[in-house]
Amino acid sequence: MKNMDNRKYVIALMVLLVSLIFTVRLFYMQVIDDKWKDRAAEISENKVITQPARGVVYDRNNEKLISNVVYYDLRVVPNQARNIDSVSLVKLLDISMEEYVKKMNAARKYSKRKPSDLVTQIPPDEFSLIAPELYKYPGVFEIERTLRVYPKKCGAHVLGYMNEVNANDIEKNNYYKSGDFIGRMGIERYYEEVLRGQRGVKYYLQNAIGVETERYENGKYDTLAVQGKSITLGLDWELQAYGERLMQNKLGCVVAIEPSSGEILAMVSSPAYDPNLLVGRRLGENYSILEKDTLLPLFNRAASATYPPGSTFKLIMALVALQEGVITPESSFPCNKGLVGCHNHPTAGSVSDAVKMSCNPYFYAITKRIIHQGKSPNGFKDAAIGQDIWHDYVESFGIGTDLHVDFPGLSRGFVPNTAFYNDLYNQFGWQFETIYSNSIGQGEVLVTSIEMANVVAIIANRGYYYYPHFIREIEGQKAPEIYHQKNYTKVDSQWFAPIVDGMWRVVHEPNGTGSRARLDSIAVCGKTGTAENFKRINGVNHQMTDHSIFSAFAPMDKPQIAIYVYLENSGFGGTWAAPLASLMIEKYITGEISDTTKENRILNANLIPDASDILPPKQPKKRNR
Amino acid sequence: MRNQNDSSFADLDWSMVIIYFLLVGLGITNIYSSVYDPEHPALFDQITQHGKQITWLGISLFLGITIMFLETSFIKKYAYWFYWVTIVLLVAVLFTPPVNGARAWFGIGAFGIQPAEFAKIGVALALAKYLSTTDHLRSRGLQIKFSLLPGITFTRMPLPALLMLIIPALLILAQPDAGTFIIFTSFILVLYREGYAGNILLFLIIAVIIAVITLVVADSSFMIPGLKIKLSGKTGIVLSLVTLSIIFYFLIRSVVLPRNRPPLYRALIGSLIVAVIFVNFIEIGYSKILMSHQKERIDLVLGKIDDPDGKGYNINRAKAAIGSGGFFGKGYMKATLANENQGHVPMQSTDFIFCTWSEEWGFIGSFSLVLIYTFLLIKMIVIAERQRSDFTRIFAYCVTGIFFYHFMINVGMAIGLAPVIGIPLPFFSYGGSSMMSFSILYFILLKLDAERKVVLQ
Ligand SMILES: [Zn+2]
Repeated sequence: MKNMDNRKYVIALMVLLVSLIFTVRLFYMQVIDDKWKDRAAEISENKVITQPARGVVYDRNNEKLISNVVYYDLRVVPNQARNIDSVSLVKLLDISMEEYVKKMNAARKYSKRKPSDLVTQIPPDEFSLIAPELYKYPGVFEIERTLRVYPKKCGAHVLGYMNEVNANDIEKNNYYKSGDFIGRMGIERYYEEVLRGQRGVKYYLQNAIGVETERYENGKYDTLAVQGKSITLGLDWELQAYGERLMQNKLGCVVAIEPSSGEILAMVSSPAYDPNLLVGRRLGENYSILEKDTLLPLFNRAASATYPPGSTFKLIMALVALQEGVITPESSFPCNKGLVGCHNHPTAGSVSDAVKMSCNPYFYAITKRIIHQGKSPNGFKDAAIGQDIWHDYVESFGIGTDLHVDFPGLSRGFVPNTAFYNDLYNQFGWQFETIYSNSIGQGEVLVTSIEMANVVAIIANRGYYYYPHFIREIEGQKAPEIYHQKNYTKVDSQWFAPIVDGMWRVVHEPNGTGSRARLDSIAVCGKTGTAENFKRINGVNHQMTDHSIFSAFAPMDKPQIAIYVYLENSGFGGTWAAPLASLMIEKYITGEISDTTKENRILNANLIPDASDILPPKQPKKRNR
Repeated sequence: MRNQNDSSFADLDWSMVIIYFLLVGLGITNIYSSVYDPEHPALFDQITQHGKQITWLGISLFLGITIMFLETSFIKKYAYWFYWVTIVLLVAVLFTPPVNGARAWFGIGAFGIQPAEFAKIGVALALAKYLSTTDHLRSRGLQIKFSLLPGITFTRMPLPALLMLIIPALLILAQPDAGTFIIFTSFILVLYREGYAGNILLFLIIAVIIAVITLVVADSSFMIPGLKIKLSGKTGIVLSLVTLSIIFYFLIRSVVLPRNRPPLYRALIGSLIVAVIFVNFIEIGYSKILMSHQKERIDLVLGKIDDPDGKGYNINRAKAAIGSGGFFGKGYMKATLANENQGHVPMQSTDFIFCTWSEEWGFIGSFSLVLIYTFLLIKMIVIAERQRSDFTRIFAYCVTGIFFYHFMINVGMAIGLAPVIGIPLPFFSYGGSSMMSFSILYFILLKLDAERKVVLQ
């Protein structure tokens, strides 16, 4: 037999080789490659998230506008729920069998040992019927979640709503994780980060069946949840609710501002809806019903619609003309219906008269004087200079500018300047006669209702304004500084007196246009507006019923409220908008309504035009400036 | 007891005794951490696995001391007897009610005994006796010669020795206990050392390498760089084998004397043909004959598929536990995966005991443990080679082979280099039968080694 002694080295080498391979492999797994550390964390650690309570929203009288309520999610662990009576469960939960099967299949696919959602967002009253029966269904259990509740059932357009984040939100802000809720529209959206707070995270060790066993590293990496802050709005919920009641069966909007602070007292867009419709598991269903409604209840007319201002715009024309010195308060112009149409009335002997009677030729004449000041002998060049002077004045009233309102989705009005008309008619291809409609609030000029409410507040303040805003306090802290600074127009305070006088006479004198706005106890100053509007059908512009508009503030001295009412396709401003505005004023200042006949007339009026007559609100448009 | 001047203890290898207590001690502390139960914190609590393991250690030490006082001649004389007793037990255990799907246990109260563990001892003793006596020389006619091609003797095996292995191995496979069955292939190492089994070791290693490569590339194809020809993985292997043969051809031509070349050429061509047939055999077997779930199991080991929460659950959790230990480990009693309370790693006190150790002690610990086992195995080879008695040498190689296989498969499985086969890590894993059988093997070896100088007196 051959000497086999060398074979001992082969065996020893095999041992050493195996050990070497193991050492290299262990070094790679334990020291170099982080993959297994990540995997171990994924397996053994669990992140438990504490969602802080979302901030409560109060109105100016500390009434809760938005608060939180506990809803219930039912979850299921497929492995434990294998033998449950699905027929009776489906009945109990009020869902279809198909939906149940779909949910269970999805749950099984996700994990047989970990819980998945079965039915989410069950309101407390429904859950109280389900809870006593749940013991019959092992593997099905509830978890609590808080959702929003809107106890006053009003102010949907102001407050907004919440729903689940989408891929876009997650991409934009990495705070959000799939399944989180985020404020959409309104205050919920604008103050999202204030109301939301900061979620807390606790890390646990979990065992193989996903049960937490102990804190990870004694909570070294845990973060505490930060509660959302409560906020107080300047809104007066009773005024808001009253406004929504008055605006029932009407299209349009109302904006009321406290002139001395710029706080928005009410912002009504009609048709409105109960904000509680967009909470809970019926959210999607209700949303699509609202979305399909041809009256556009989801559209916030007060914030986003731009309208022609009509005669309410004349107030600004008068103020600019006085400031520019092209007229005096006593200037008189004949009611020349050859220039522009008018109704029958005595000749306006002063600016105050003209406001009171809303004489179109008068404002045609004074606006012509603003535009054509004789700064150039050439009429076209003169108009080009004058138009920009006019434009800058109008913008100083906040129209078409950034009013810094704490609200998402705001549109801006439009004030045409020289460049705009040069684009439209070529340079020096136009003069006042081309664009005269602006003088009576028709033509190219467009406004939003917040802007016009602010204009009324300016007149109430005789020349300045605070940026309109909703916020009053953020958990005891005052609203941001920007809302405490006065903004002055380019018109001096002294020129407001004749205008205010005219507005008083609109309401209080026999042939004033807004006598329906009169209140016995309060001196209301107002201005009617009636805006022509057209609807393009098959390429032809059809004239529609006029928009009914009213601007007002009250009382005349030390005004407490400035209001702008816009009723689409409802006719003359004095007929509907003026009384509606006065009811709001009275409600706000005295808390009650003295003239119930007036109130009932408004409440019972259905001013919604036939489907074929509806003029959709102008969506914001980009224009060359 | 015969008085023989007590030289047996004088020549006792105390370093082996130290390693024994070191491994057993580390093993029990590690089990303690792995199954720690705050309601039963006492080390000796018999409800706990560490408590039981200490009891098993006591019994093992009693057996070990008994062995130390036995006579060497007694051990040799009754080697076959011991073998037959284990065969009887292996047959008897097949008639017991199955536990976890295998008829492998004799239950004694709360404790269980696995005869398969003791069969290793029986086979080791019988094999040592058979190969060390002249019996096997007389049975030359019973040798089988494996030839693949004329002129190339693959291997020769003594048939009785082969049967001695195969009978208990098949009985264990019938339980079924694939893990212990595989351990029986470790005796090939002994046959190899004793001059049998010629090149089988080399051939086996080459065959395993070719098979693994074939399986890895079986379903794939590749592009030859620069050419627009797509080849299947199998073709790639065949081409590589041909290239390798050509290289060997030139090597032979330039190194070997011309008269010695023809048999080498024949061997080369023969090997190439066998290898190509083998590759095709594996490839067809894998893609045409195996069922999809069998394929999956192979793919899992090869890392071709990853099913961390399904079929690959065990190995995924084991690797995560070891990998997460890092360089320094998480600290004693701080395992978050390989810990019974967390339950992520299955069988963490028995088959996957290496995970708890490596998770808590990191690379420092796992490397140290590999070093200890390596030292032990090399030490066993040294012991084997210093014997003048053939019986002792052969028995020592049996023990070396068994320990080596257990170490290689148990650790290899935990770190994903071997398929999941449930066998214990010697002296480390919880388990009475394995503790006793490893101890008996170990102490017989110590006893025989201690008498290495007196044996021939
Ligand atoms: Zn007139």
